Amino acid sequence: MRHFPPDPAPDAEALLLARYAGGDAAAARLLAVQLAPRLFAHAVRVLGDGHEAEDVTQEALLRLWKIAPDWRAGEAKVSTWCYRVVANLCTDRLRKRRSVPLDEVAEPEDPRPDAAQQLQQRARVDALQAALQSLPDRQRQAVVLRHIEGLANPEIAQILDIGVEAVESLTARGKRGLAAALAGQKEALGYET
Amino acid sequence: MTKSEHDDDRALEALFARARSHPPEMPEHLLARVLDDARHLQPTRAGSLFGGWWRMLGGLPGLGGLVTATCVGFWLGVAPPDGMPDLADQILGQQVVMDETAPDLSGFGWDSEEG
Repeated sequence: MRHFPPDPAPDAEALLLARYAGGDAAAARLLAVQLAPRLFAHAVRVLGDGHEAEDVTQEALLRLWKIAPDWRAGEAKVSTWCYRVVANLCTDRLRKRRSVPLDEVAEPEDPRPDAAQQLQQRARVDALQAALQSLPDRQRQAVVLRHIEGLANPEIAQILDIGVEAVESLTARGKRGLAAALAGQKEALGYET
Repeated sequence: MTKSEHDDDRALEALFARARSHPPEMPEHLLARVLDDARHLQPTRAGSLFGGWWRMLGGLPGLGGLVTATCVGFWLGVAPPDGMPDLADQILGQQVVMDETAPDLSGFGWDSEEG
């Protein structure tokens, strides 16, 4: 595992986490409202599945609540730590998908017209999402973190546990892959120049 | 960068911008589930007060040192090694001496005055 220098900038989320560990119930809500949507969005983009993204988001925050009393402020930003947990959980799920033959995947029992399914349906027509799904896992994670979540390369390096140069390489290759995947859809997407 | 690559870059940036402005909508019930977990796992205030005392003592290593120092001090008091002044005996001995010397009033010269 790589070791990165401690982040000297004050981390408002770490203060909220300390308040939560001290018994402040309101701090949990403030933290969850700040973190959960970002983690969920990242998981949806990487997994392409709303239900799985919900489970991953809940699991990541569950781990955060558990570690709260032992959190060592200044070592890593809370959001970076959470993104890292989400990235690892997504990688695990993507690996499991590959190890299960398609004919063994159970069909959904009872399709429900809930928000997650609507999101999934929207994802089917989302050209960018479809193109993202065609990328290798690490490239997809790096592209989403850099170009959609808007994180800086050093923070992405911490999340993916790689060097900054490797992040630059992943995002560059990822963008080339996306451009190739979208090449035939320029007109349909309305950005033909 | 060729014109084609430049166009690809612009097109991708437009798609990224659209994705940033339309993030996947998080379902309400997910926030409820997350907050439910937080409520169940939150340390209590009493627990954190104990935790504060525990950390102030230095945790388990600190408590171990404290217990060892207490035992050594007690043992030194009960059975001091040779060559070390026995304070307990000195204190008790002085009390005995005080009891023995108290009735001796000759020091004040009363006996000579009365003849």
